[in-house]
Amino acid sequence: MPTRRDESERIALLQGTLDLLILRVLLFGSCHGQGIARAIQRQSDEVFFVDHGSLYLALQRLDESGMISAKWGVSENNRKARFYTLTAKGRAQLNAKTSQWNRLKTAMESILSPAGEEA
Amino acid sequence: MFGKRSRGVKDFSAELEAHVQLEADELEAQGVNRREAERRARVALGNGQLTRERFYLRHRALWLENLARDFRYGLRMMTRNPAVTVVAVLTLACGIAASATVFTWINAVLLQPLSGVSDPGRLVTLESVTSNGDWVPSSYPDFIDFRDHLKLFDGIAVSHPVAFSIGQEDHADRVWGEFVSGNFFSVLGVKPEAGRLFLPAEYGDAPGAYPVAVISDRYWRSHFGADPSIVGKTIRINQHELTLVGVAAPAFHGSIPATAFDLWVPYMQVAELSGVQPWMLRDRHTRNMLGIARLKSGVTADQARLELKALAERMAVLNADVSLGMSATLIPLWKSPHGPQGLLIGPLRILMGISVLVLLIVCANVANLLLARATVREKEFSARLALGATRLRIVRQVLTECLLLTGAGAAIGLAAAPFLGHALRYLMPPGPMTVLVSIDTRPNLTVLAFTAGICVICALAAGLFPALHVSRIALSTTLNSGGRSGAAGRPRNRMRSALVASEVALALVTLVGAGLFARGFQQTLHLDPGFDPNHVLVNQFYLSTNGYNIAQRREFCRRLGERMQSAPGVTDVGYSDGVPLGFEPSWWEELKIEGYAPRPDENMNIFRNVISPGYLPLMHIPMVEGRNFTEQDDLKSPAVMIVNQAFAQRFFPGLDPIGHMIHGWGTWFRVIGVAKDSKYHYLSETTPPYFYVPFRQVYREDMNLAFYVRTKGDPESVLSTLRAQTRAIDPNVTVFDVAPLKEFIGASLYPQKIAASLMAIMGTLALLLAAVGLYSAMAYSVVQRTQEIGVRMALGARPGNVLLMVVRQGLTLTGVGLVAGAALAFVMARMAASVGFTNSAMGATTKVLQGSAADPLIYIGAVVFLSAVAALAAYFPARRAASVEPMKALRTE
Repeated sequence: MPTRRDESERIALLQGTLDLLILRVLLFGSCHGQGIARAIQRQSDEVFFVDHGSLYLALQRLDESGMISAKWGVSENNRKARFYTLTAKGRAQLNAKTSQWNRLKTAMESILSPAGEEA
Repeated sequence: MFGKRSRGVKDFSAELEAHVQLEADELEAQGVNRREAERRARVALGNGQLTRERFYLRHRALWLENLARDFRYGLRMMTRNPAVTVVAVLTLACGIAASATVFTWINAVLLQPLSGVSDPGRLVTLESVTSNGDWVPSSYPDFIDFRDHLKLFDGIAVSHPVAFSIGQEDHADRVWGEFVSGNFFSVLGVKPEAGRLFLPAEYGDAPGAYPVAVISDRYWRSHFGADPSIVGKTIRINQHELTLVGVAAPAFHGSIPATAFDLWVPYMQVAELSGVQPWMLRDRHTRNMLGIARLKSGVTADQARLELKALAERMAVLNADVSLGMSATLIPLWKSPHGPQGLLIGPLRILMGISVLVLLIVCANVANLLLARATVREKEFSARLALGATRLRIVRQVLTECLLLTGAGAAIGLAAAPFLGHALRYLMPPGPMTVLVSIDTRPNLTVLAFTAGICVICALAAGLFPALHVSRIALSTTLNSGGRSGAAGRPRNRMRSALVASEVALALVTLVGAGLFARGFQQTLHLDPGFDPNHVLVNQFYLSTNGYNIAQRREFCRRLGERMQSAPGVTDVGYSDGVPLGFEPSWWEELKIEGYAPRPDENMNIFRNVISPGYLPLMHIPMVEGRNFTEQDDLKSPAVMIVNQAFAQRFFPGLDPIGHMIHGWGTWFRVIGVAKDSKYHYLSETTPPYFYVPFRQVYREDMNLAFYVRTKGDPESVLSTLRAQTRAIDPNVTVFDVAPLKEFIGASLYPQKIAASLMAIMGTLALLLAAVGLYSAMAYSVVQRTQEIGVRMALGARPGNVLLMVVRQGLTLTGVGLVAGAALAFVMARMAASVGFTNSAMGATTKVLQGSAADPLIYIGAVVFLSAVAALAAYFPARRAASVEPMKALRTE
């Protein structure tokens, strides 16, 4: 039965991860919110479903902390849209977070992998 | 979020709308019709309103939400480790209760000296100043001049505290009250609880014209059952009928700090009620009024002081016969030399310092505990960091948990504070002051605010180290080390070591402090007072409350003396005005000495006592020269005086004092004897010049009467005889304040006594806390090193080696702490040695801390004791470590 705590940890996970994923998508060039959402879904083989409300709040947060910058522009099919671009600070953050994530991944794997050597 | 133009909700909504359009375009391109595409896009976006709301609330809501979550989480952590929680909370409760109690006292004595008055910030004490700068009370005529001529004041009032009797002769109550000027209540701004206070029509200076009285709320409730109909009735005070016009507000206890009075009567009734001669009301030499003044708003104390000084100096010239060289000044209420605060200030200051020390130890202890917890939780914190939590967020979590702990500690501490507050009462010596001291020990707003402040400071202090620690967690190392405990511990262990060492240092400071005070107190106790207080019973009579005039009082003393002298078991009987080493101020007389030319600024106000012929023999104070008083030295024979050795040396150096003439009380006295020096105000004083005059010649209406009986055995055994004989002379005279002289003179030791006893309590507390801290630190470090110890033992270390290693580690830490502590203790002792106290209206002070601040025995004793405690604290965990089975140790974790 999911407790409140589990729930809160899931949010924390999403938050941290979502930021990382947004930065990653923007590495290929500026993009608007809908495009970012589509990209994340597509690149994760549809594993991640991005909650759009959270996405825009995350974009706002990243914008405020200077990781990305935002500008209103016009999309390829002539729609008004807000375009986000990775800043230098965001790029550095992406690098740091990525390597951190990799270490975490390794650590988690080594812990979670079937324990055969302890006897 | 700062520095950037903030983005409106409208702009955010536009973005969401744009999203819907873009999404719909894409769906349309996949062949969905436009309406359906837009609907689906909107569904996918979810509740737009909710998102907008979250956008709007994003900053505020987040931290509030986080705080709530931190609290919930903190509470869960607390319940998960009940042992740690209980120890931490109890430790904090001890520290906070101690500081809150001391602060309650300080608040009552120093910060809010008078309760129940309006705007106490503008009230000041008005004191006359003698030519050599001593503070003395003022006379009533002086008061009239001050009241009528000063412009910068909203009013000046005077009071004269005395004992009254209320009720019919044979079942009268003795209560303490004040004779006051009529404007007393209006100057202080006191509100009535029932009836009225004094009216302007009663502010005048006509003797005997205002037969009214006001009682305290406390007395009203305890003796009249808070019956409002009592107002307007007559009550019998000192055997005279007065109209009870009202009851003062419950918070009001009179004009002397930390003292509770129950009755207020206009001073103009003093002649009738106390048998004081009417001429004394007009006598500028009868200085018995304590002044209190209210500054006009906008007037500074300095401006008012200047105006007062100018007037007082003009008065001194106009009344040069009695007031030559006199001046007057204003002092803050809490500095007033009247009342117990003079006794309390010094010890309270030292106590506050000590409670800060104890609080520091408490914080160190809790920090230690939390640091241990933080280490255990390192993995949890690392995981959170890895999952994207900011360091700030985790530090905040740690601090929130600290705040929860201190909050719980503060709640318990506050609950205990009122009980501890009463402890001050138990430390009071017997005698009249016991009933007088009133300290409101209920925690009020100020105390609550103080405690809350302490609580936050504690949380920050205790949480600082763990928080620092958390903020330095190196993610990869912790996660990679897989919990191998030895590896990442260096800086953390250094932090813990610093904490333990500082705890030891603080404990040493308190222990040395306690030792110094206790030893100083003990040394003072062993000082020879110069008289023999053993086997002497002393009783204070308040005959004026029975309506006795001066001749009747003298006659009463003579008859009681005769009756007691012949009682079985009684060896000596005597009586006097003042009691040596008592609580009450000693009185003095301005003397002119024939053949002695004082320097212009020389203090010729010499302390004195008015005694019966039996007094000196009863006290075992021998005559060095000349003769003692006799029953024949009365009003019909020439006035005579006995001086002490210090007096003789100062005024008649190298001469025989016998036969010299000395002027005081308007007559010339002939010196007939020299008495041996003794102690008069403090056991530790340097003997001042002092003189005695005969009761039969000098006794006046405004003097007190202390009656002494020396017995062969236990002085209490003649108590019933004293009561019976008193009753036989006059059934209306009651024996109220009877105590063995030995206990009564404890008053002069009171500040040292409280300092010593409270220091002992605080010292014990500090020691206990430090021991707990040491033990937990050692035990923890042993647990941390279990694996290492296992390896050592597997490699051949014997249990003895392990034991030695762990104990040595503990003692090294202790040693560092002890060295630092000794240095700190020495500095603090020097500071404490400069704190004094006073119990005399003349403002003479003596030191709370007697003896040397650098007594090596005490330092050595404290060091040895603490080392022993530390060794024990290290020994038990070490023994457990040594008994570890190597294989088991290696397998832990």
